[in-house]
Parts: sequence; C-alpha cells; structure tokens
Amino acid sequence: MSTVSARRRLAAGAAVCAIVALAAACGGAADPSSSAAAAKKNVKLVDTTPAATGQLDKATWLLPKEPTNLDLSNDDANDQSDLIMANVCERLNKLEPDMSVGPGLASKYEWRTPTQLVFTIRENATFHDGAPVTMDDVLWSMKRNSTDGNSESDEFPNVKSFAQTGPHELTFTMKQPDAVFVEALAGNAGLIQERKVVEAQGKNFGTPSSTDACSGPLTVGEWKSGESVVLRKADDYWDAAKASKVDEITFKWAQDDAIVNSLITGSAQGAYIDNIASAARLATSGGITVSQGPDTRVWSLLVTERGGLADADVRKALSLAFDRDGVNRAAFASLGQPWKEPVGSGAWGYEKQTFSDAYDKLAGSPAKPSEQDIAAAKKLVADAGTTKPIVIASDGSSIRNTLANALVDAARKIGLTASITQIPTAQYGDFYDNPDLRAKADLFADDYYISKTDPVGFYKNGASTSEVQWVFKDPAYDKLVLDGRAALDPADRAQIAIELATRWADAKPWISAVQSPCTVALAKDVTGVPASGSVRYYPWAADLGKKG
Amino acid sequence: MLALLRRLGAMVLTLVVSSFVIFAGMYAAPGDPLTFLIKNPEDRTPDRVAAVRAEYHLDDSFLQQYLSWAKDVLHGDLGTSFVYKQPVADLMGTRLPITLTLVAMAALMFIVIGVGLGIVSALKRGSAVDSSITGVTTFLTSIPNFVVALVLVSVFAVQLRWFEVSGDGEGFAGRLYHLTLPSIALAIGALAVVSRVTRQTMVEQQSLEHVDVARSFGLSSRKIIWRHVLRNSLGPVVTMCGLIIASMLAGTVVIESVFGLSGVGSMLVDSINAHDFPVVQAILLFMVVAYMTVTIVVDVLYPLIDPRTRERSEAA
Repeated sequence: MSTVSARRRLAAGAAVCAIVALAAACGGAADPSSSAAAAKKNVKLVDTTPAATGQLDKATWLLPKEPTNLDLSNDDANDQSDLIMANVCERLNKLEPDMSVGPGLASKYEWRTPTQLVFTIRENATFHDGAPVTMDDVLWSMKRNSTDGNSESDEFPNVKSFAQTGPHELTFTMKQPDAVFVEALAGNAGLIQERKVVEAQGKNFGTPSSTDACSGPLTVGEWKSGESVVLRKADDYWDAAKASKVDEITFKWAQDDAIVNSLITGSAQGAYIDNIASAARLATSGGITVSQGPDTRVWSLLVTERGGLADADVRKALSLAFDRDGVNRAAFASLGQPWKEPVGSGAWGYEKQTFSDAYDKLAGSPAKPSEQDIAAAKKLVADAGTTKPIVIASDGSSIRNTLANALVDAARKIGLTASITQIPTAQYGDFYDNPDLRAKADLFADDYYISKTDPVGFYKNGASTSEVQWVFKDPAYDKLVLDGRAALDPADRAQIAIELATRWADAKPWISAVQSPCTVALAKDVTGVPASGSVRYYPWAADLGKKG
Repeated sequence: MLALLRRLGAMVLTLVVSSFVIFAGMYAAPGDPLTFLIKNPEDRTPDRVAAVRAEYHLDDSFLQQYLSWAKDVLHGDLGTSFVYKQPVADLMGTRLPITLTLVAMAALMFIVIGVGLGIVSALKRGSAVDSSITGVTTFLTSIPNFVVALVLVSVFAVQLRWFEVSGDGEGFAGRLYHLTLPSIALAIGALAVVSRVTRQTMVEQQSLEHVDVARSFGLSSRKIIWRHVLRNSLGPVVTMCGLIIASMLAGTVVIESVFGLSGVGSMLVDSINAHDFPVVQAILLFMVVAYMTVTIVVDVLYPLIDPRTRERSEAA
C-alpha cells in the first residue's frame, strides 16, 4: 500500500448503511445539535489512553467489517486486516503512538552515504513458532514486498538493490536519497515474515485456515470465517518488556448501531469507530470512554477534469464560501474538525510545531466563512467571468449528501450555480479510474488517508503524473516533490512539505472539508490503547489491559 | 413419478435461466470490480490493472465469462470469492446455517402464533377478541421490520439486557438465544397475513354445507372444528406460509444487519457492492433453489392435507 494511502473502506459499508439505515441503524447519534456539544466535551484528545495497570484475560473488540484477508501484501486486504495484523506482525521500523517512526525488527538504521541505507537487524527476535528471525527471512521478505504485484512494491521506486552486508546488516543501495522510504518501512513495505511458513502455505496464506508467519506480541489463534478472529498472547515474545497485556482478544464485526449498543451493554470492551458520528452517543452514555487522536484521514471534495472548475480561482472561491463547521456539525456530530488541507495532523510525524504553525497560516479555507470571505469569493467569481454550471456527485450516504449540499450552498452564496448528481455507492469508487464517470461531475467527495506520517507522503499526489488529481499541473511543484523525498534532514523536508502544502492550497485540486480523527471507545474497566492513526501498524492490542 | 420428473426438469431449466439472468444483471450493473480488487487508487498503474484484469478474466466477453462460470458450477465448483480469496462454498457454509436457523425460528413463530390467532379469531368471530387480534396484528405488520428490530434491540437488549445486542452465539443453545430477537423481528410482519388467511378460510368453511350436515348429525363442535373446518382450511394456510418462508429466505438482509449477524443476506449486499460476482451468483442461486424447494414441499404436502388434490393431479 503505497506511500500514501488508500481509502480502503469506502463503498461497501456505506451502502449497507444506506439500505438499512433509513431509520437510524447507521447514524447512531440522536439529536445532532444538542447532544453534540455534550459529546464533544466528554471526548478526550490524546495520542494514547492512560496506561493499563493489570493483565486482562479476555476482551472482545468490534470492527465495522470482517477482514478480507490476513496477508497484508494482498491487494485487497482491508482496513480491518491492517488493524488486526498490526498486533501480529512486525516491520523493520515501527510506527509509535505519537506517529513518529522508531526502531522495529531493525534496532537502528543509518544513511552511510546519501545512497546507502544500512539497517542493523536484531539478533534476539523470534517468530511465533520459536524460530529466530534470520537474515534469510529478512532478505526474502524484502524481496516479496518489493516484487511487482505485491501491494507494497510501489514503495521501492528508488531502491536499486539490497543485500546482506554483515552478519546482521541489511543494506539498500538507492538511486537517490529517499526519506519517505524509511517511513514506508514502518508500514507494510517493511513487513518481515518467516519464509518457510509463508512458502509452505502457498496460495492459502492469509485465508481463515492459515497460520501467521510473524513475530509480534500476539498471534492469530483462530479465524472463523463470518464469525470472529481470535488473537492470543504470543508465548515468549522476544521483547519481554512489551509483552501483551491481554491474553486473548476476539474480534467481531457489526454495523455502527450494533457496535454502539454492544459497548453500552458491556458485551464488547472496545472499538475504533469508523463513522465518528456514532461515537457521540457513546461519549454521552456514561461508563464508556471516548478518546480521539491524530490521524491522516480527511474528507475532501476532489475536483475532476470535467471543466466546471477548470479555473483555480473558482475553486478558491468555493473553498472560501464553504461552511466546514456546518458540515462537521451535521455529518460528524461535531466530532470531526473543520480542516484546511487534504491530509490530517497525524501526518506530522516529525517537526510537529513547524507543521502546526504552518497549518495555522494556511489561508482560503475558513471553518465558517466570514462576510469578508464571501466578498472575496464573489470578487474571484466576478473576475473569472462566465463559468459552466457545477455538478457534484453524491451517493446518498449522509456524509456525502451533507458535503454536496454544503457545496451547492457555497456556490449559491457567491453567485454560481451547482447541482447534485447521484452515483450509486457501488460505482462511486470508480471515479479514480474512470474518465467517463469523471465527465459526469466536477467534484466527488471521499475520505482519504495516507499510511505514512509525512505530509510529503501525501503531497506527492499533486504531481502532474498523479493518479488522484486531474486539474493541477506545475513543473515547479513536481520538482519539489522529488526534492522532498530526497531531503534526509527532517527540518529541510518539513520546509519543502510546507511549500508543497502552500502551492496545493493555492491551486486547490481538492477542496478539503473535515478531518476525521482516529476515535476509540473503551469500556470502563479497560485502557491502554493508542487513540492515534498509528494503530494501522502499531501493536495496539498488546497495550490493552485492566484499568487501575 | 412422471410429475416429479417433470418438476425436476422445470427446476433445472429455471436454474439455468435465472443464473443467466443474474449473471447478465451483475455484468450490466454499474461499477468496476477492479476498484475493489486494487483498493488503493495510487496502486492502479496500467500494468497492475492489466495483470489483475487478466487474472480475473474481466476482459473476456460476457458469454465467455458466463460459460466458464457455468462449467465450474457443473463440476461442483462455485468459484472463489474476489474479495475473500476463499472458495465460495466455504463462505456460504459458514453463513447459511445462521440464515436458515433464523428463518426456521421465525417460521415456527409466525406459523404457531399466526395460525393460533387466526383460529381464535374465527371461532370468536365478531367479538372484541376477534377485532383486537385483527387490529394488533395489522398494526404490527404495518411497522417496517427494521424499526421493529431497532425497538426490540433498544428495549430487550440495551434497556432490559435480557438478550445480546449482536452476534450469533456459540453452540446450539447460544445460537437459539442470540437469534430470538432477530427471529421475532422477522416473524412479526407475517403474523397478520397468516392469522387473517386462517380466519378467513375457517369462516368460509364454517358456512359450507358439509359443516351444516356434520352439525345436524350432532357431532360435537370440537370435532367439527377440528376435522371439518380446520382441516379443510389448511390448504390456503399452508400455501401462504410456504410463500412467506420462501420470501423470508431472500429477505433477511435488514434483520441480519441490525443484529450484526453474518448471514447470507448481509454477505449478499456486501458482495453486490464489491462486485464479487461469484459470491453474488451463488447466493442468488441459493435463493432461487430455496424458493423452489419450499414450493415443492408445499405441493407435496397438499395431497396429504387434501386427498382430492391428489386425485385431480393423477387424473390430469
């Protein structure tokens, strides 16, 4: 899964909601306006929940869907696969709860020359069957991850070769320095698995009957297709200090409403809430702790090449008049954050303060448009001359409908005409690949996240060759993208990332709306797990334990 | 015997036609399976797309795709799920028991209670009991079943905590316990129809000559009701129950979603949205087969209930 990301979930869930939910099965939250304030007050903003004090023998954890596959290199492993296997598998580097990148199965790395990246592999690590993690496993895993057809192979564009250069030393020879690659190795590109276990299972690997080939604090106990996945504490985990605080965790899946009810009745101990609006009821129900932490996920309106928004000034005008706060209240029960850029604060894995300051300075995307904003937007529209009517695509789901209506409202306020077209949920994801579909709408709404904690990892999508934006082409920007990847010094890279963000904001190939933070709900007797987007790769369940 | 063979032939023909129609429908539906086969839009490079399209035969003509699917089915292979990479038969194997148990429990409830209420209604025709049974069952039927489901969850699972909110439970007893609320939600809509049909046919029977004759012979009213009225009324009731069960087998999706059950219905919706052709095809065919099976069972039962139909079909 690439540098960036992948909005892996999307359609399927939303559609069941659309069918079932008419009444409330999905929405969850009761009266949005009155309960929202109360809910927001009860939500704690943290990277991680307070540490657990005692060992927990059993926990049930809820997911919005069943994992499709537990082989993370598989193209259609989904969000749930990542969330579960984060506890089972380990990488060369490790993503920490504060979204920084630390040492994983490699105890350290260094850039020996600008094109020589050297990892020192730990000697004491063992796989779940007791076998040591050998250099042969490491080399084989890297080869598997980088081979064409593997979902991670696109992380290796700058790798010329890699080889063992010492008893415990792995060296990547690069075509050019690549800071983003180091971050990718904390994700699935850096996955280390036991060769003989994977090979023995062949095509079966990753299906319910297979076993895992990893070295993490928990191991896959059992996957009953359609029913549950059970993880058990690994015997003799190599890093004793980080051994799992939960002996057994059972994953089950259900609709939003059933998740909320199960937590309230105590039949489940926790869940990461996908549709954050449903967390409002949990936050006000007493007994349940709801915490939010930084993630990279942001809902944006992606501009297509249809032509209605070919003029960057019109896009800017719409962004100025767009009521992000209203969308947040209506569709996210106020549990999101009006957001100015297409990637969330979870991407600030280094130089946090620099990024935060730069974000505050970004102009043109107000939370609530002021009169000056509207006046400025009107002027931009007047200067742009005549424009084609704008069409925005929705699929009838509550978030997309709200975004579409807010856009139509923004257009109306500044003298533009906009209308909504409905595209079936099952087809909505095709916007990225199908130019014929993009010819039907100027904008479509999607939540986008990146799996790396680096704004450069997102802003590469502004390049002229990008597969996910269609209206912005700027050679100077393209060069900055390359420079950003190559800048090994974090401070330098941060400056380049900020320059990219400013240029993106100026061109607005997407109009960003609301950040959707990582949201975790916990029963009153358990604690410890991170509340940040790090849970995609960090062994979060190992930290789940009894509350003091 | 001949009739049975004829039925089987018709069944096979129906299956062939419906599988073709379903396949064509899925093929024509908007959306590209590729979007789900390569989840990350940034990974959809032309080479990758071409490789995946070839792997799943997405570029073959419609007829080619259908024929290769049909060939596999004839060899007993329902195919492999695009999404789960597991054999469709395995996926169905874990979901079918849940849906079947759910429908069986719901059927038991609406038949026993529905027919019971219908009988009481017919016997107490015109009384307050009759009109309140009619009123209450009509009211219950008019509430959409997902609303019933949400109310049941909020009262009996969240407030009173008598039942679990979601999931299907462990073991036989656990399964029954977990499926109680869902099956009530599923059954409630059918109560009015079944009790009304029972009442109506019994009322009609009571006014027929043979009942008058029986009465004039001085048979006890219990015997009359039991042997002459109820027995003769069973035909339409059984037909109606059969039809309701058949449609329930295809209509569990909403209930399964609300109660977090991994049944066939929720898998169908997920697979349709993910363009998981082999799974959709298998589930819809299961529904066709289930429908036909139920109607055949009803046809087989009919002569047992009413010997006259047997004579008629033999004469024909």
